[in-house]
Amino acid sequence: MKSYKTIGIFLGLLTIASCEKQLEVVPEDNVATNTVFNSFATINGAVVGIYSKNQSGDLNGNPQLMSDFMADNVAFVGSFPTLQEIDQFTTLATNTTIDNIWLDAYELIGAANNVIVNLPEVSPADVTGLTETDKTRFVAEAKFLRALTYFQLVNLFAQPYQVAGGGNLGVPIVTNPFEGGDISEFQKERSTVNEVHAFIERDLLDAAAVLPSDNGLRAESGAARALLARLYLYREEWTNAANFADQVINSGDYALATGYDFYDDNPGSPENIFSVINTPTDGPQDESVPGSDEVYVNFYNPSPGGRGDAPFSPDLISAYMAEPGDLRFSMLSQAALDAQNNDTFFTTKYPDIVNNASDGMVLRMTEMYLIRAEANLRGGTSVGDSPLNDINRLRTRAGLVNLGSVDLDGILLERRKELAFEGHRRMDLLRNDLNLRPGGGSESAPGADKVIFPIVDDELTNNPNITQNPGNF
Amino acid sequence: MLFLLGISYAHAQQVKMVTGTITDQNTFPLPGVNILLKGTTTGTQSDFDGKYSIVAAEGDVLVFSYLGQRTTERTVGASNIMDIQMEEDAQALEEVVVIGYGNQEERKIIQNVGVVREEAIENLQVVSADQLLQGQSAGTQIVNASGVLGSAAIIRVRGVNSINSGSQPLIVIDGVPITDTAGNTLNRGGNTGINPLSYVNPNDIASLTVLKDAGATSIYGSRGANGVILITTKKGRRNSRATVTLDVNTQFSQSTDVPDILAADEFRQFKSEVATLQQGSPVSPEDLNLGAIGSGGTDWLAGVQRTGISQNYNLGVRGGGENTSFFFGLDYQDTSGFIIGNDQQRASGRINIDTDVTEWLKVGMNLGVTNNRLNRVGVENNIDAPFTTAFLQSPVVKAFDDQGNFAQSGSFIPNVIARVALDFDELKTFRVIGNAYTEVTPIDGLTWRSEFGIDKLTVEETVRNAEFNTPGGAAQQIYVAEDRWLTNQTLNYTPNLGEDHSLNVLVGLNYEETLRTRLNVTSTGFLTDGLRNIGSGATPSILNGDRFPSRLFGLFSRVSYDYQGKYLVEGSIRRDGSSRFGVNNRFGYFWSAAAGWVLSEESFIEDLNFFDYLSIRASLGTVGNDRLGTFPSLGLFNAGGFGDYNGESGVVPNQPENPDIKWEESETLDIGIKSTFLNGRVSFNAAYFKKTTSDLLLNQILPPQTGFTSISRNIGEMENTGWEFDFNTVNVRSENFEWKTSFNLTTIDNTVTKLNADAATDAQGRRIIDGTIQRAIEGESLNNFFLIRYVGINSQTGDAEWLDVDGNVTNNPGSGDRVVVGSPLPDFSGGMTNTFTYKNLDLSVLMNYSYGNEVVIDGLRFADGNDAIGGIVNIRRQNLNFWRQAGDNAFLPSPTSSTFNLFNQRSSQQLLDASYLRIKNITLGYNLPERAIERLGGFISGLRFYTTVTNLFTFKKDEMKGIDPEVTDDIDPRFQGESFFTAPQAKSYSLGARLTF
Repeated sequence: MKSYKTIGIFLGLLTIASCEKQLEVVPEDNVATNTVFNSFATINGAVVGIYSKNQSGDLNGNPQLMSDFMADNVAFVGSFPTLQEIDQFTTLATNTTIDNIWLDAYELIGAANNVIVNLPEVSPADVTGLTETDKTRFVAEAKFLRALTYFQLVNLFAQPYQVAGGGNLGVPIVTNPFEGGDISEFQKERSTVNEVHAFIERDLLDAAAVLPSDNGLRAESGAARALLARLYLYREEWTNAANFADQVINSGDYALATGYDFYDDNPGSPENIFSVINTPTDGPQDESVPGSDEVYVNFYNPSPGGRGDAPFSPDLISAYMAEPGDLRFSMLSQAALDAQNNDTFFTTKYPDIVNNASDGMVLRMTEMYLIRAEANLRGGTSVGDSPLNDINRLRTRAGLVNLGSVDLDGILLERRKELAFEGHRRMDLLRNDLNLRPGGGSESAPGADKVIFPIVDDELTNNPNITQNPGNF
Repeated sequence: MLFLLGISYAHAQQVKMVTGTITDQNTFPLPGVNILLKGTTTGTQSDFDGKYSIVAAEGDVLVFSYLGQRTTERTVGASNIMDIQMEEDAQALEEVVVIGYGNQEERKIIQNVGVVREEAIENLQVVSADQLLQGQSAGTQIVNASGVLGSAAIIRVRGVNSINSGSQPLIVIDGVPITDTAGNTLNRGGNTGINPLSYVNPNDIASLTVLKDAGATSIYGSRGANGVILITTKKGRRNSRATVTLDVNTQFSQSTDVPDILAADEFRQFKSEVATLQQGSPVSPEDLNLGAIGSGGTDWLAGVQRTGISQNYNLGVRGGGENTSFFFGLDYQDTSGFIIGNDQQRASGRINIDTDVTEWLKVGMNLGVTNNRLNRVGVENNIDAPFTTAFLQSPVVKAFDDQGNFAQSGSFIPNVIARVALDFDELKTFRVIGNAYTEVTPIDGLTWRSEFGIDKLTVEETVRNAEFNTPGGAAQQIYVAEDRWLTNQTLNYTPNLGEDHSLNVLVGLNYEETLRTRLNVTSTGFLTDGLRNIGSGATPSILNGDRFPSRLFGLFSRVSYDYQGKYLVEGSIRRDGSSRFGVNNRFGYFWSAAAGWVLSEESFIEDLNFFDYLSIRASLGTVGNDRLGTFPSLGLFNAGGFGDYNGESGVVPNQPENPDIKWEESETLDIGIKSTFLNGRVSFNAAYFKKTTSDLLLNQILPPQTGFTSISRNIGEMENTGWEFDFNTVNVRSENFEWKTSFNLTTIDNTVTKLNADAATDAQGRRIIDGTIQRAIEGESLNNFFLIRYVGINSQTGDAEWLDVDGNVTNNPGSGDRVVVGSPLPDFSGGMTNTFTYKNLDLSVLMNYSYGNEVVIDGLRFADGNDAIGGIVNIRRQNLNFWRQAGDNAFLPSPTSSTFNLFNQRSSQQLLDASYLRIKNITLGYNLPERAIERLGGFISGLRFYTTVTNLFTFKKDEMKGIDPEVTDDIDPRFQGESFFTAPQAKSYSLGARLTF
């Protein structure tokens, strides 16, 4: 018996010793923070990850949709109470769709900050295959995406520059990544619109100087300049706007497409300066949230397959019908029933209803011509070409006759018909002091409380330094 | 002296051979019964056939004793033959109770445990094992999630003890802690997952022990904080003829209660009336595209329900010889639920054997295998969920076209009948839970038990959506294998210290490895529905392909000592290490100490002649919680689909760093009293507990500017205090009739005592964890519904009115007007069982109740009011009562009021009082009397017929009409009591027969 006891105790001790080592288990599907900047592949991966964040339907998709139905392009007949609220200008700060925009935006900004702040500290000597040029290029790409996101945020959550000369409250500017420490650095108050615009401008100028003119389908110097052109246009800096638009037009990297086949699945078309590329296996939906509803494609398309929530508004249909033969209407729309069984039209710019993965249009050549035309007209200049020629160029492509002369209304009309459903209409109306709805009342007038979004409840509850927009949110 | 007297007496009387047969209360022969000639040491034992023989004289007293039976004394009479029938000891306190890593006599238990025995559960017809606990044990609260087959239930032992780290107790089956990962199956709406206990055959279960206080749970170390439920399966009996039990029953089920919604014409009428009032000119239903009155429609609610039928066959064989005992069970259940498209077939088998190889070696094995096939339907808040869609779908939409084919609904709310009929969603699971052990007893009193256990789960879920429902078709398959193997090595030593002292020392080691592997693939782009397999789709994508390993290593010890069975003390300690925690805090220590005093053994209590048993006990100890994901301490980036862009691989930040993360720790103080009096007819137990949980892992919400939603920090503290009462009485006991009652009540007060210093604060400056409908408030409980107060419809103006934050009436409330309006946690809850036995008939009625809890039915924001989803959804009947003129007491505002479309915004309009008393189970049974059995040829030894009604009736508030009060769509403790349109529980009737031979 004694020998059994001895054996038993010996075995027991042996088991204890070997068991403890087994507790060191490593994750198999994640990369830890301290190893991301250790190899070229993971550094590139961290930058690709920022693009991936930008794919979120909350940053490229839903804001475009909301911009359309808050304005006069879409008559929203849809489903979700959160979207109905926005459509009726009765938005509350607890609106979950808007919450997602804010959260996704700052997640992207955090991922970009991680690269912008930490990558310059990495020495190429420590990482095989990494050069200083690579480092600056990666940081520039991150800055471009960060600037794009801040621009989106300030357009949605703050009154436009025109309301108070940019002195009104914008959004908080965060420049450092969060690394598990003190959170008070991330409870910033809102900077003014001017400050945010200045920050965006600096990021874009830095990026434009460094990015190559051809970076595949990723951000290029042309993209940075194109976004700057739009920024200057919104700020009414006509000369800068016209100049930057002109630089992009004459760079030789892009060209106005001859038709309208550059939407969805054609990111390489010369028309596209920068777009968000979605594929059937990698789209705008957040895979970590099953059944997430970043499905703007679903709204823009009729049922079956889509929800039929976002058809053309009667006003937009009349705008196109006023000049019959406009190819932008005949080629890019389909007749169908909406969610309330009315006969109407739907856009075909986002046709992938099977995988909800149509590309998001961000910057394209047509917009550069429109910016150049408007900036020239309102600045009294003729950089590159006259506004009339620029507009007629676009009208010819659309199968319409040339105009004899053009005024601001004419340019805005062409902008509307060209860029419908691409997220421009709301800002175009607001910055030109026009009511968002035809015959609309005080709730949709420029400067009204709820033509912009509230600062979301998540930010209000977790940040004592933030100020809510006026109005009962 | 006595002996000599005895002998002299014997001389006086004639000494003879007394023989007889000893049987138990079921008339089975009892071998191994001790027969003692009283006052002497002369004795014998009954043999295998229960026969005995002993030399005694007339007038001698023979004492018959056997474990579990009441000791009987008989005086030898004139006859030489004395047959004895033993009775089960009415004082159940002699029984043995299963506790953590061991057993203990019930009399000597100073841990606070709730035991649910075979008698209490053998007549309950349940689909899954957690239903066996409902209403049976004080301190244990079960809330069913929904009536969909296989849905998990919320099980809470002594309230909610954690916020983010899971609040479900640890479930141990025959010593094997089973895995219960909720994410093993696809989410079908609601966040309840599949019930882990649906893989255990309820007919295999002999008893359940709920470990409640630290004295009982501390030995489970880092996993015991939410309580532990020990399930013991049926075992065989030594020296017992094999008995075979065959049980066959059929069950019919329907839904308990559904809301009253409108039929097609009522809907048309309502909509046109409202539109007419709003536009000022007549509007007909045709103008609204609803079709004319009389043009038909669909009763969707009737279309998604049916009478469910279930057939259940169960066979159990139990018995044993001198050295071996065995139990062997087979079970087959075929259930179709009351919701269309929801059915389940389950087959399971079990074999439990143990045998004495030699005097010092015993080996045994328990093995259970379950194979389950479940046809799933959406549970809730999901357009695939039959119940959600049946409520929302407009009644004018037709399910079938004129040719009888399925018709598209024309809106994003699909034809759910077509969904269920054409789509395929099947969940197949195969589970093996078992253990094998050897017990070596090298010296008397020392046992080394070496045990190896496995819990092997294979889950395969296949979904195939038809072209009609999803253009292009779609398919998804998820394979999950979750394997756990473990070993327990324990040394148990009970030295012989004489009669007065009793000591038991337990030392043990527990090592577990768990590996969860998951593969989740989808595909779209199928040419036809005939292509069933996922490989035939044009666009496949892999959603998940990952492995989650984790390991646990524990060392523990327990010492119990008692003096004369009167003064008892016990202590335990455990050291646990887990792979889940960062290197800084890898090991945790947990301890407990308990003491008890059996007052009924003291002379001053015995002299009172009132108590059969009276004891007080107290315990104090710590226990931990480790349910928090696999790698919470590392800063992580996600790879794969999350970070990819345009075909390039990318990584995105996913989790911020957290190297100091550690255990959650609960410290419990428990004081209780147990008593039995009036000759065993009344027993009363009461306990007070105070459980403080510190280092609560809170997902501290990070400000959005950090780019992360939350970080897990050990910063919180929570306290649960409460009382538990158990009251059992034998009200009437006569020869033919017996009435027993068992009643339990639990009240728990939950307070969040500390949240992190930089937490969000509410208007009063208290720290909170915010949610959409409820929030946790420091100083208050974890669950507080936080909504705008809804007042009603002003009968003079027809406007809906709410209260603003100051309590003034307003027509235009905002999110700043929300206040605390209720809580899903009950003031008290429990159950009551009444059992009546009259001759061969028995009737048992089990009721459970909950009082003071509220629920928020989020679905009412769509089912009430006029304009949800653009006004195309169906509404409840009470909405027909809209305000028409001054003086009206209306449900809905006037259609011309500015509040008409605001009516259904989120407010306390959806908050309902969910207190209820439910008649959970009524079972009426009839055991065929002995004479009838004998006439049947003596082949069978028992035949029982029974009929059961489950969920017959629920007493609840009027406002809950049509809504089941026992619903929740998430087992996460932060979202308890919220529901969208969860399917109600089923009401079922069953008929069955049980044959024993």
